[in-house]
Amino acid sequence: MSATQILSVLVFAGAYVLIATERVHRVAAALGGAALMLALRLTDGETAFHSLDAGVDWNVVFLLLGMMIIVGVIKQTGLFEYLAIAAAKRARGKPFAVLAMFVVITAGASAALDNVTTVLLIAPVTFLVCDRLGLNPIPFLIAEVLASNIGGTATLIGDPPNIIIASRGGLSFNDFLVHLAPFIVVLMVAFVVVCRWLFRDAFHYDEDRVAEVMALSEREAIRDRRLLWQSLGVLALVLAGFVLHGVVDVEPSVVALLGAGLLVLISEVTTEEALADVEWETLVFFMGLFVMVGALVKTGVIDTVSAALAGAVGGDPLLAVMALLAGSAVLSAVVDNIPYVATMSPIVAELVAAQGNTPQSDSLWWSLALGADLGGNATAVGASANVVVLGLAARNGTPISFWQFTRYGIVVAGLSILLAAPYLWLRYFVLA
Amino acid sequence: MRARDLAEEYPLVQLTDEALTAARLIAEQRRPGVVVVDADGKPVTVLPGSQVLRFIIPGYVQEDPSLARVYDERSGAETCVRKLEGRTVKELLPPKEKRYELPKVSGDATVIECAAVMARLRSPLLLVSDDDTVHGVVTTSHLLEVILSATGKAT
Repeated sequence: MSATQILSVLVFAGAYVLIATERVHRVAAALGGAALMLALRLTDGETAFHSLDAGVDWNVVFLLLGMMIIVGVIKQTGLFEYLAIAAAKRARGKPFAVLAMFVVITAGASAALDNVTTVLLIAPVTFLVCDRLGLNPIPFLIAEVLASNIGGTATLIGDPPNIIIASRGGLSFNDFLVHLAPFIVVLMVAFVVVCRWLFRDAFHYDEDRVAEVMALSEREAIRDRRLLWQSLGVLALVLAGFVLHGVVDVEPSVVALLGAGLLVLISEVTTEEALADVEWETLVFFMGLFVMVGALVKTGVIDTVSAALAGAVGGDPLLAVMALLAGSAVLSAVVDNIPYVATMSPIVAELVAAQGNTPQSDSLWWSLALGADLGGNATAVGASANVVVLGLAARNGTPISFWQFTRYGIVVAGLSILLAAPYLWLRYFVLA
Repeated sequence: MRARDLAEEYPLVQLTDEALTAARLIAEQRRPGVVVVDADGKPVTVLPGSQVLRFIIPGYVQEDPSLARVYDERSGAETCVRKLEGRTVKELLPPKEKRYELPKVSGDATVIECAAVMARLRSPLLLVSDDDTVHGVVTTSHLLEVILSATGKAT
């Protein structure tokens, strides 16, 4: 390895350790690392800001920005509260039926919105319904966050790692629907069945308390019907735009930005309100990460690592896919899956190119997505949504400990990977 | 006019009294809050009505305006009252480190001095005392009445 390669690895590893251990704020670590890479001339302004392969991926940044604006407006409509209360009433307050409906709603919403937003929307109504039914909300919250991470895996926009994978791998919204969504539907069925056993002690049915849920008026949750229809209309257009983006030749980021602009234009939501839910910290974190990873690309570290990995799997695509799936799951369980995927994407891109862009080699992208997204369920710190739910639970007087979450999460993550492995093998190696 | 001239008799509750008693005092006498005293009768803090509401309305409902609308009036009220049953006044108060500073002035404080303390502490009540002698309590409504009267703007 050359001196510049060693230096870039040292800067990257230092920043990564700071991000993983949370010794400093993750944005500070990513920006500090990016600044050092630039200051040490391991990358330069032209590469960092304008290179498609080794710079900030503006498609990812603006896709996230557009979706955050759209979601921020949809949040104000009360749609989620309406759906959850209607579901609880339809389940007639029966605890397992309520949990099953809540996890299905959460997974469905996570496929269209980001996971953190989804759990922030479902958690308050979960507290309310559990309070009315006299149930412990903890099993419900844990099941919902696990469902959110599973559901988010299904689409390009469901989980930030997928957005990075799509951009780096040149994969479309429809590619995710075709390759990941069918498996996620099967996994969700298995997950609901497992929930019946996993949380079996939580389903105490009290007939007297059911009336308290049936007395809730879900229609009242919709505060602004006009805004609701405007938001749903724009969301439908945006989803149609994602599906058709290959045909109309428009990037998903442009579709999301057009949708966000249209929604702000036609609704009476002020610009301040529309931008209030944008997580600027997350966007800046992404930019810092991209500059750091870009420096690894520019100095040739990624080429070296890719060549070493290709040598290690000995040109065996199945071994590569399975190793990537398992490795990604384990690493994503203990570190944030966003920096992990940002780092692995250029490596996977080289491995795919080296194997000649066959269906088997393309399956490396799906292996990375399944491993990183589903592995995040294993521990309380594996995914951002897990951390958010733990915080919400503590604030509402029902704290969830790290191990309390992890003992359920590890079972679900293990099951997910055990099902993902034969899916990848069958679909891309046996039936391809 | 001085604080001791403005002070009125005011109901006091002890830290160990039932939370429902404090809520009833505020409700039945349309008070903005009550003064809380310890076992020796020494004022500890003021319990405003808004703090009682913060206790009975769950945090997730306070943060989600859509959820606040879905309760029907009767069962919503029953839920609120249930939260007060079996609780003491002490449990209604925020944790000690977040507890409101006792809004207190001496008997010879001026009208504007009283107003300044209430404005700074956002308190609807002001305790007037000298050493161990409690003269009474000044309410926002009484204080505003005095201020408006002084300028001839009161109706």
